[in-house]
Amino acid sequence: MILTPNILARLGALGLLTVLLEVSFFSRITLLGSRPAFAVLVVVLLGLLGGVTIGAVAGFSIGFLIDCLIGSPLGSTALVLILVGYLAGAYRERATGRAGRLGIPLICVGLTLIAEAALLAIHLLLGLSGPFSPAVIPDLMVTALYAFVLGLALNAGLRRLLSPALIDESDRQSNGPVAVFGNRK
Amino acid sequence: MLALLVIGCFILLTASFGQRSNFIQSTVATVFGPLEEGASRALKPARDLVNWFDETFEARGENARLREELEEARLQAIAGQAARQENDQLRDLHDLSETGVIPSGYEPVVARVIARSPSLWTGTVTVDAGSSSGVEVGDPVMSGDGLVGQVTAVYGGSSLVLLITDPSSRISGRVVPSGVQGILQPEIGNPEGLVLGFLDRAEQVRVGSSVVTAGWRTETRASRFPPNLPVGVVERAPLIEQEASRQVFVRPLADMSRLDFVSILTGGWRK
Repeated sequence: MILTPNILARLGALGLLTVLLEVSFFSRITLLGSRPAFAVLVVVLLGLLGGVTIGAVAGFSIGFLIDCLIGSPLGSTALVLILVGYLAGAYRERATGRAGRLGIPLICVGLTLIAEAALLAIHLLLGLSGPFSPAVIPDLMVTALYAFVLGLALNAGLRRLLSPALIDESDRQSNGPVAVFGNRK
Repeated sequence: MLALLVIGCFILLTASFGQRSNFIQSTVATVFGPLEEGASRALKPARDLVNWFDETFEARGENARLREELEEARLQAIAGQAARQENDQLRDLHDLSETGVIPSGYEPVVARVIARSPSLWTGTVTVDAGSSSGVEVGDPVMSGDGLVGQVTAVYGGSSLVLLITDPSSRISGRVVPSGVQGILQPEIGNPEGLVLGFLDRAEQVRVGSSVVTAGWRTETRASRFPPNLPVGVVERAPLIEQEASRQVFVRPLADMSRLDFVSILTGGWRK
């Protein structure tokens, strides 16, 4: 990802908007017994578009703000989002060939589930959560479904927002590890 | 960069562990508070819309579940009512023994009514106590309120009871406290009423007087029922009827239409 002041401003605004939407909207709605992990999806997509560094920094920033606003242990959400941002970026930088039409939403689903598991693990380690109950599995399935659907929509939106910064796939193919995503306009 | 971020997270976690809030969180929350509030208000209609869909889906499922629970509760309530009714009847039967209504020498056997004659004009019921319970033909049968009838047939595990409202029923009765005696028989045209006729004295019988079994006995013969079993209450006693026909109208104490449990007085006269 090519970072210019304009792109950095867009990323900053995106991060702020993500935090506000997460705490004011997505965390306060329930549909079919669960809700979308919006912040996780944004971080994953930023990692898929920008690489490891972008994914990790976005994860830390968004996670830190969310921890401050919802009162959870400072650093817990940040740690989880760093993880998923890093994994998404790592996939972007190491994967060869196109992910396919369903690749992005499936990656979103997988990393969302990893984020939920990581958050549960952190809460268990900190003594903030009770033992895992299989009763939450249906809720996780619904969250995964949301990740699939929202992943498709958000990917298109983020591509449009960050299109000046995205690296062309053809350039990456000729220069090194094949870029899976990105078009420079 | 990644290592720095991760270390930073652990530092934050360690620093804030066990604290409800700290300086960093409170500062950020204060700064972003107005933004958060504005976003929350602005997004409320959208939240409400989404939650409305969720509540509608949930309401459908909950509706079906509540209907099932209501049906179950209704059945339980009916069963509870029936159980209470049975309990009341059984308690009344128990009180019979306690209050001394049952003459000495009789052993009450509680039985459940299991069948009833379908006709309004024949009064018999079948109960689930028979010879195996010591029941014999001729045993008086009572409810918690008063005399019901007499056993006319006995089988191994059941008995047939002729009600006092059956057209063929005849009982010697006595008005208390006046002592006027007569014959109790069903009132013609009223399957739930009795007539105390053939009054042996011209003494006026008052409405509201109690009627009990006379229970007479001689050396060679005895009435079918022991004395002083409550039968009914004088409901109508027109003077004309008393003088011309020597009869009064009696309302039975026992409700023949709601018999579930009865007490069969075994032993007694046969001893």
